[in-house]
Amino acid sequence: MDPLIVLASVSKDYHSGPEVVHALRAVSLDVGAGELVAVVGASGSGKSTLMNILGCLDRPTSGSYSLAGINVGARSADERAMVRNRMIGFVFQGFNLLARTSALENVELPLVYRGISRRERRRRAERALAQVGLADRVLHTPAQLSGGQQQRVAIARALVTDPPVLLADEPTGNLDSKTSYEVLALLQQLSREMGITVLIVTHEPDIAACTDRQVTFRDGYLVEDKRNPSPQDALALMRDLEAHNGDAA
Amino acid sequence: MKALLSAVRMALSALTRARARSLLTSLGILIGIAAVVIVTALGTGARKSVSDQIESLGSNLIFIFYKPVSKSGAQGALGTGGGLSDRDAAALEREAGALAQVTVYSDVKAQVVSEQGNAKIQVVGADRKYFEVRSFTIERGRSFTESEEQVKAKVCVIGQTAINKLFGNVDPVGRFVRVGKYPFRVIGTLKSKGQSPFEDQDDRIITPIGSWRSRVAKTRGDQVQLVMATAKTADRVPQAVRQIDAILRQRRGFADGEEPDFIVRTQAEFQKSQEAIFGILTMLLLGVAAISLFVGGVGVMNIMLVSVTERTREIGIRMAIGAKRADIQMQFMTESVLITAFGGLLGVLLAAVSIFFMQRELGWTMVFSTDAVIIAGVTSLVVGIVFGFWPAQRAARLDPIEALRHE
Repeated sequence: MDPLIVLASVSKDYHSGPEVVHALRAVSLDVGAGELVAVVGASGSGKSTLMNILGCLDRPTSGSYSLAGINVGARSADERAMVRNRMIGFVFQGFNLLARTSALENVELPLVYRGISRRERRRRAERALAQVGLADRVLHTPAQLSGGQQQRVAIARALVTDPPVLLADEPTGNLDSKTSYEVLALLQQLSREMGITVLIVTHEPDIAACTDRQVTFRDGYLVEDKRNPSPQDALALMRDLEAHNGDAA
Repeated sequence: MKALLSAVRMALSALTRARARSLLTSLGILIGIAAVVIVTALGTGARKSVSDQIESLGSNLIFIFYKPVSKSGAQGALGTGGGLSDRDAAALEREAGALAQVTVYSDVKAQVVSEQGNAKIQVVGADRKYFEVRSFTIERGRSFTESEEQVKAKVCVIGQTAINKLFGNVDPVGRFVRVGKYPFRVIGTLKSKGQSPFEDQDDRIITPIGSWRSRVAKTRGDQVQLVMATAKTADRVPQAVRQIDAILRQRRGFADGEEPDFIVRTQAEFQKSQEAIFGILTMLLLGVAAISLFVGGVGVMNIMLVSVTERTREIGIRMAIGAKRADIQMQFMTESVLITAFGGLLGVLLAAVSIFFMQRELGWTMVFSTDAVIIAGVTSLVVGIVFGFWPAQRAARLDPIEALRHE
């Protein structure tokens, strides 16, 4: 079977004044279905650009990107919006939930752009929230939820369309260690149990240690692609941390 | 349809989140729409009351005014130097075959006193035929007799508004009013002719022209301010005008082609010029109303631009999770249209209430038409679309990556 994501010699140049910035240089990368991949690198290494291209928010300057056999890199803005809606779930560092809007409505939002009926939207959103363990928080607004809960609402929003790919841009950047492991455990579970391909951009080595594979970027080049034969279990790490904190107390 | 419904629902929740701002923004539209509806109602009402007047007066009415001209040489061969006179009227009645009736008219605004009160009232001097020519009917009592006219009797017929001012609920027939130092006995009352926007035809008392000349306003000889006549039929009005012109030119010594010292105007001409004036006034007011609507629209556009800037991040999120440009465009235009539609609705309500009170308190004839409501509704939607388009387009053209990065 072909890999789900195929990047073939993808480059991205930005023009900043007279200078040309090479954000990505001839990156080739295959990711299979159900893989949990950490994307690491210093800031400016090109990992955000990679995520933007993978997420169909941006187009490569050269090279091709195909997702599930579709050459999405060459599609129009509206077609890419449709691809984002149906095939990709986004999780951001800053959660990016709509303020003063209930968890349920936030999660329903991607389905609105798919023209799904209100009742069906509600049903699916409730199911996605239950999946991330927030069945009892559906009517809370982001301000009434903790950071970890907000990130879980965001994950539910990403999941509600049943996408094959989930892109998480530093999903634990704004969270404490325990909550970070909690969110990570959820992502691990999605990849293992539901076969969703998850790419996580991260700075933190202990987060990367929980993934199946780690790709490293430097100056726009993909410099290292290494498999992790024995990824750590985030849930176990979280319990250790709890036990440790318990001792300290 | 379903997409529209969910867009409306989404827009409503966005607007209710910024309730005060939405209300203030729609205020501009509210005022504009209310102004348009009220002005339209006023214009339609004025035109209607003019056409009602045509019906109540009859279109075959003809007015003859005196207009002094500077003319060298002798004035008036028959010694009628100065204004029109009873004799002019009598000559017209005698000689102009196309005329049915001729009457004379003079008026002055004077202080009128009764036992119950006093007020400034139009005091009219006329003869018996005046009532018929102007379609006044006697409600109670009677009109003047010929002998009362000849002896310049101090009697009068009184209109409904004047009764209210001078007598209140007391029956005035048989009672006296005083004009200057002379008492006049009220012998009859006029049936109300109703209000017109610029003149109250019921605020008057009418005395025989002779009594008026000697007791109310001292006048030289048998002069009158105005001669009024009716043509036998509406079709014969032009013929009647030609006859009047010829007879008066001969009597007053003006050759054909020379500018005479009188003007002949038909009721139809009056109505036309009055309608033209109302038309111009209505257009002017509508222009002002349209400007306020435009300003309201600019206000909506301004707020929508602010809203787009404030919600850049939200737009980025929506785009990331699959909103197409058209979806974003639709979302913001729906918001602006809802604001203007809401303003329009309240504007129509405000206009309806204002029109109701203006009719009741000021007695103006106004016509609150369904046409005006439909036009107002369509206008407010169009304003929302026109002034919402550009801000919505700015939102739709945002780059999702930039928008997501926006703080």
